[in-house]
Amino acid sequence: MTPAPIPLSRRIFRNLMRLLPFDFRTNYGEEMEGVFHEQQREIESQGDALDFLRLWGETIAGIFRTAPSEHWEILKSDASYALRMMRKNMGFTAVAVLTLGLGIGANTAIFSVVHSVLMRPLPYPQGQQLVFLRQEAQKQGIDDLGFSVHEIEDYRSQNRTLSGLVEYHSMSFILYGHGDPDRVRTAVVSANYFDLFGVRPLMGRTFLPDDDKLGAAPVLILSYEYWKNNFNADPAIIGKTFEMNDKPHTVVGVLPPVPQYPTESDVYMPTSACPFRSSKAMIDNRDARMMEAFGRLKPEASLAESRADFSTIAGRLKLAYPKSYPEGAGYTAVSSSLREELTSGARPTLLVLLAAAGFVLLIACANVANLTLARMSKRERELAVRTALGAGRSRLLRQLLTESFMLALLGGALGLLFAYGSLPMLTEFAARLTPRAREIQIDLGVLAFALIAAAGTSIVFGTLAALFARANLSSSLKEGSAGAGAGKQKNRLRNLLIVSQIAFSFMLLIGAGLMVQSLLKMLEVDPGYVPQRVLAMRTTFSFNKYATREQTVDIIRKVLARVQGEPGVLSAAISSSYPLEPEAIAAGPNSFSTSFDVEGRELGPTEAPPVSSFHAISPDYFRTMGIPLKEGREFTAADGGKGPLVAMINEAMRRQFWPQEDPVGKRVSLDSKATWLTIVGMVGDVREFGLDRPAAPEIYFPHSEGAAPATLIVRTSADPLTMTAGITRAVHDVDSQTAVTHVLTLEQARAESVSSPRVTASLLAIFAVLALLIAAAGIGGIMALAVSQRVREIGIRLALGAQPAAIFRMVLNQGLVLAILGIAIGAAGALGLSRMVKSLLFGVGPTDPLTYLGVGSVLAAVGVVASYLPARRAARIDPIEALRAE
Amino acid sequence: MSRVRDTEETEVKPPLTPAMFHVLLALADGEKHGYAILKEVERRTNGKVRLSAGTLYGIIKRLNGEGWIVELNKRPAAALDDERRRYYRLTDPGRRAAMAEAQRLEDLLVMARNKNLLRKTEFA
Repeated sequence: MTPAPIPLSRRIFRNLMRLLPFDFRTNYGEEMEGVFHEQQREIESQGDALDFLRLWGETIAGIFRTAPSEHWEILKSDASYALRMMRKNMGFTAVAVLTLGLGIGANTAIFSVVHSVLMRPLPYPQGQQLVFLRQEAQKQGIDDLGFSVHEIEDYRSQNRTLSGLVEYHSMSFILYGHGDPDRVRTAVVSANYFDLFGVRPLMGRTFLPDDDKLGAAPVLILSYEYWKNNFNADPAIIGKTFEMNDKPHTVVGVLPPVPQYPTESDVYMPTSACPFRSSKAMIDNRDARMMEAFGRLKPEASLAESRADFSTIAGRLKLAYPKSYPEGAGYTAVSSSLREELTSGARPTLLVLLAAAGFVLLIACANVANLTLARMSKRERELAVRTALGAGRSRLLRQLLTESFMLALLGGALGLLFAYGSLPMLTEFAARLTPRAREIQIDLGVLAFALIAAAGTSIVFGTLAALFARANLSSSLKEGSAGAGAGKQKNRLRNLLIVSQIAFSFMLLIGAGLMVQSLLKMLEVDPGYVPQRVLAMRTTFSFNKYATREQTVDIIRKVLARVQGEPGVLSAAISSSYPLEPEAIAAGPNSFSTSFDVEGRELGPTEAPPVSSFHAISPDYFRTMGIPLKEGREFTAADGGKGPLVAMINEAMRRQFWPQEDPVGKRVSLDSKATWLTIVGMVGDVREFGLDRPAAPEIYFPHSEGAAPATLIVRTSADPLTMTAGITRAVHDVDSQTAVTHVLTLEQARAESVSSPRVTASLLAIFAVLALLIAAAGIGGIMALAVSQRVREIGIRLALGAQPAAIFRMVLNQGLVLAILGIAIGAAGALGLSRMVKSLLFGVGPTDPLTYLGVGSVLAAVGVVASYLPARRAARIDPIEALRAE
Repeated sequence: MSRVRDTEETEVKPPLTPAMFHVLLALADGEKHGYAILKEVERRTNGKVRLSAGTLYGIIKRLNGEGWIVELNKRPAAALDDERRRYYRLTDPGRRAAMAEAQRLEDLLVMARNKNLLRKTEFA
């Protein structure tokens, strides 16, 4: 006989009842169904369709009303039960909460950076419309030429996809009339710069079109930070005037505290107020590129359309001005999303760190699951008794999940505290990767992440524990708590958890090991100069006072002579830049490069001229820096000025152009063959823009041939920082209006240049050590548990004549086998992930065998050490005691 | 009188909802199974208060938890009974709770009548 099919209405009713808690259904389900059935029957016999609909409506509403309050009741009682259990097992609770807190904290901290930097839109109205514009010379390897005044005008007037295009460049000027002469970071911008970004002033106004006209009265806008820190947030600042570049500048506005891109500035001025930008030579020369450009897309325009637009204009310019855009340079113009531009450098590092933090959380989960399992073996009887007393199995699972969720919630709260505490450090770290670092904060998104991490965590380890409970509940009453049958499955699960902890630890350790190695490799790189006991300080002479080249040469000569006379000074020089200067690294090599011609070498019609960095230096520069002379001679005081123009080059330049010849006597031109510089000497290669960047061709020429250098470099006999005051005084003795800033030793500059890999390596190392400790505690705990469960078995073995040493080895081997399994799986995982870290490494491959071998040995050793105590305990079991105890 | 009511009111926790009161009322004159309770409430209120299966058993569970009703182990003769049916009876505390609630409602009505919000005939 086949059972009658269940009517549709009953099926619907049963499904509705699933909304109610399991226990409620078990208790009243059948009766409810009966009542509903009778109601239905009554309507069928005497009611109409309307009654029928009303019955369904009331029934559905009733269940929807009852279900939440019933679930809430259960949650309340489960939670209070869980709290009681947690208080009863303070040790377990503390370890679990701490482990989860570390895991969730690491993730929340890194996520707060990822969220603020990579995920959030720019903090400007319609920030997604903002684009960064670049001119590229692809074939010369230059990805950002900068813009000249002509080019800005061309792109502004010819584009069809932008609602606005503004220019920006950064200068350092000296501001007088407010205490000591103050060197201010000055952004020179178009009048509509702030309108384009959608920034409204906190006080006063932003720039007006008239401010930008040549000859307009100079005006200034102060950044919020500069106004607050240097003027104590003076509410009457508007209208005050300060002397800059020999002219009075009137403050017309103060900015709100907004993130400033691309760099932070103290003051803003319109283009007409910048003496360089407004000079005729600058305005008329299409090739004088010093500006950056930003745009805002029209609402209807896409980025792809704007790229096509810019490429078209670039093609047009190439045809119109072939001299400025030689065929072989690969010239084009590109627009890219500003957000992308500001964060692309940070992306790989942040993603690696997020993955690493995720691993730590997984390890923490596995560990807490194992702890829970261990504790559950103690609670097996309690759980089994509750089952026997009628608690449904799913009711117990629900109880267990509530317990784990509460643990995870506490862990999440602790993790938030950790994350909050690490915020200043993380912000400083991220500042080396992206200008958006200042936006990092713990906001609702981060809170939600922590909550989701906690919930996810509790589901992972709670389910693991519950799975085990399901498998074992039925057997434990029958066999007693030390039952062997269920034990096998339970141990397998535990071992699996241990193996996965070791595997993830292995991957983290590999990542950390590779990062540390590449950091060490970077520090081992010979920078090409001797950084010890050398001081660099930016000296800015008032250029109005020293307007001509002769005046500049004269003041530099006086300053160098005065500084040389200071006791403790071995030698002093002045230079336009120095190796690994933080600002130079930030700006990139392109900003210091120029194209040049080599005498006797004609370019093919499609060939681009070669490019080199250039440095204006005083004669003692190489001696002061400790850069060795390889060929020819150094500059002397007689060079420059009226004699023939001279230059020096580095070895990289020789390798490229005169590999077989003596470069001394060859000539190069920096101004399209108008004048020629004769090479008089060659020096060793120097890592100018990063220890990880191979030396590129460099040209040096005497500062007396042009270009005012800015940095005073002093080699001292003692700790250079102790001599800062004396040297500054010496400079001010010559001219008290000279601003002395950016004081740094070359060793500091070198350390600074590797600070990003250093912090990445440190964070990864912290994560890895954390993981290692958690995993080690896990192995130790599990082996100890295994031994305590096998006391009787071991006792029998010993009673039957087994040697304690053999027992010791047996336990130790078990730990070691788990470790080796974990290492093998971890190695496979690490190999799979090696591509991810490749871009962050220097001088070491992502599959470096030595690192793998080292990390493997460390983990194996940890496995042995963690199993040592339990093994010793097993070997010392007294067989008589063990057997009596049962 | 008021003293008694005070002590009884402290027993009434959580406060009775109208639906709970109706269920207690339905059981006041004898034990009933779920469907009968539901019909009784509907009949007494002329169909103004209608309980659904879900609400009814949520209330039964709570009244049971308070100890105001109990489920009977004895059932009527098998011929008269559907085996799924369970019967419920008012306990003494349950009766007291219902009386307290009734008293509270009467006090309210007295107040309302004194304020001429209610005609005497209408209440009879």
